[in-house]
Amino acid sequence: MIDTNERVSSLLSLLQADDVLKREEAIKELAQYETDEAIAGLVIALEDADLGIRELAADTLVGKKSEVASCLLIKFLASEDINTRNLASEILMRIGTPAVNPLINEIDDDDHDVRKFIVDILGLIKDPKSVTAVASKLDDSNINVVCSAAEALGEIGAPQAINALIDSYHLKEDARLQIVEALGKIGDVSAISFLSDCLSSDDPMILYAAIEALGNLGQENSVKQLIPFLDSEDTSIAESAMYSIVNITECNKGKIDYDLPLDRFSGFLFEGVKNRDKKLTNFILSRLKHGYDNDLLRSLVEILHYVGEDELQEIVQILGGIGPTASDIILEQFDSASSELKIIYLNILKQYVNAEIVNYLIKYKNDSDPDVRRMIAQILGISGNTEAVATLLSMTQDKVGHVRSAAYGALGWLLSESEIDSLFKGLDDKYPDVREAVMGALVLVGSEKVVKKFTDDLYHQDLERQRLAVTALGLIGDNVVVDPLLQAINHPDSTIRKSALDSLAKIKDVQNISPLMLALDDENNSVRKSAISALVAIKGYEVIPQLTYLLEDSDIWVVYHLLTIIGNSNNKQYSSYLSPFLNSAEDIHKIIAVKGLSKLGCKEMIQDILLLQNNQNEDLDFAVADAIETLQGK
Amino acid sequence: MDIQKKEEGSVAVLKLRGRLDLASGATLKEEIKALSSSELTLVHLNLEEVDFINSSGLGVLVSIMKEIRMQKGRLTLSNLASYVQEIFEITQLSHIFEIFTSEEEALNSYQSVGSN
Repeated sequence: MIDTNERVSSLLSLLQADDVLKREEAIKELAQYETDEAIAGLVIALEDADLGIRELAADTLVGKKSEVASCLLIKFLASEDINTRNLASEILMRIGTPAVNPLINEIDDDDHDVRKFIVDILGLIKDPKSVTAVASKLDDSNINVVCSAAEALGEIGAPQAINALIDSYHLKEDARLQIVEALGKIGDVSAISFLSDCLSSDDPMILYAAIEALGNLGQENSVKQLIPFLDSEDTSIAESAMYSIVNITECNKGKIDYDLPLDRFSGFLFEGVKNRDKKLTNFILSRLKHGYDNDLLRSLVEILHYVGEDELQEIVQILGGIGPTASDIILEQFDSASSELKIIYLNILKQYVNAEIVNYLIKYKNDSDPDVRRMIAQILGISGNTEAVATLLSMTQDKVGHVRSAAYGALGWLLSESEIDSLFKGLDDKYPDVREAVMGALVLVGSEKVVKKFTDDLYHQDLERQRLAVTALGLIGDNVVVDPLLQAINHPDSTIRKSALDSLAKIKDVQNISPLMLALDDENNSVRKSAISALVAIKGYEVIPQLTYLLEDSDIWVVYHLLTIIGNSNNKQYSSYLSPFLNSAEDIHKIIAVKGLSKLGCKEMIQDILLLQNNQNEDLDFAVADAIETLQGK
Repeated sequence: MDIQKKEEGSVAVLKLRGRLDLASGATLKEEIKALSSSELTLVHLNLEEVDFINSSGLGVLVSIMKEIRMQKGRLTLSNLASYVQEIFEITQLSHIFEIFTSEEEALNSYQSVGSN
């Protein structure tokens, strides 16, 4: 203890050092002590000449959350230096609840500025236990303290102070505005009658605050009292009444049964939507959900590009649900819209595209914005309207690749087999993503003619076309592609052989497995692995005995792959294929053998597995521990 | 293919399991037809356990979608496995269908529009 006091004393001395670094070190060390002297030192450092030191001391004090620090800091609220006062206030506020009792103890300070500071800080801390003390300041002799007390009670949200606030309203004329605002913030329904009376105030500020407060209370029956103010000549009063009705609507989940003159407020409401005011946006949406008129729709459609992403999605869905009425308005506005807005419109139209919309959009196939053209191509495809085919064919000549991709994709949804020659041309497009889009469209058509085309393309002079063809055949996935894929197992290119095997593994319904058996001896290790997987997928785990000669394969990963499959076979008879690998020269083979034996439940192998413990390979150790735990049933 | 059916409010939810090809697609179309005749035109397909889909299966989904659209209904999909998702991307069907990450997300979207 003596050592601590001595050390703190020397640190306090260091706080007077000329060297900033020494003072900084002293504060950092003082932070480790909980004695009153150490805390006092930190408080003193708040008046240090260096800003960094002052901030460090402040942060340290906040971190301590100490009543002692709070008591000392309160003394600074009387400081003549405004910066010191503000810093002390900020720290007390950040200390929070531990500062509440010390602040309450000083709430009757002789200095009215200190009383005001204390009330303000308590309001910011928002601790309900300060309500009684703060409410007592509604009787303060200084009006600034009274105003602060009203504001603080509003911040704390103290319903128990409502009667005191209302009493004070009648006694303290200069605090009326703050009192009404506080009642609104508290938001308790017991103030509704008083606030309704305030609507007859001659003071426009009180009236404004009362309207706003009633909005915060969110009671539907207040709407009737607010509606007359919508006709006020004072725009700010009228708009405040509208905003309060918006608030009440939100509190009632969008349901209020009053006719509102929304047309007169469309400027105010839609300005709010443009400024991403969530309440106003939700209000507009709620009105759309519970009925709409064309003016409201038109105003909304005009400003969609201002709306936030989440709201936009909801609006798009709502307008989609409204259907033709919304599309008529959108089509009216489409020509003059910006590209950004056109894309939003197209997202809405896409939900209920009909012949009229198709005919209209065809006119915009040459729009200056490629993103607009791309979306138009997609919508024409979605329409299912074969009248769009000619337009889409012309769009396959677009100068921008992703527009051509979209046009080809859409044609895939529309074309019949007799018309697909036009899609084949796209396979020669200069861009690979367009060629892939064409392949996707042809996969969707998936006819005999398409299969023949891709079968031929397996031996196209361009290797990339060969790869596209084998992928396409795999995606078509019907029985008709099995023979071409079996042929592709003998393809000169190993990636095509592998892709063919992978596709056959997914299709599964393959009768002739001879080519797959031959592929087990392929020169390429990836092909051999795919052949193993394909045979197991097609014939089941029973095929394993025919594969086991590959356990002597020259490639460790082929062996590893086969060991993995054996381990997953759920057939304990196959454990004899795994056990020799506990003595493999390759750790990865040991690991997968251990895991496999564990999965097959080979308890008789526990002793052999334990022999692999405590070697230099952490992964093997982990596999052994895991296997033993599983096999011992832990 | 196994098809589990349930109703969530006004939405018919079908959870598909297995392979979606020509044969199983025909079964699915029959199920959808039965729903339409009971005026259930809001349909959600959960594809979480569909491990294979081929061009015939895709064709079935497109024809179901067209059918539902004609009846002013709505079709949503969710929980696409990565292989199925890839096919939807390649065929650009991801632009046609309303695809959600989860069934819950899809059903929530019906709630927001359904209250119109």
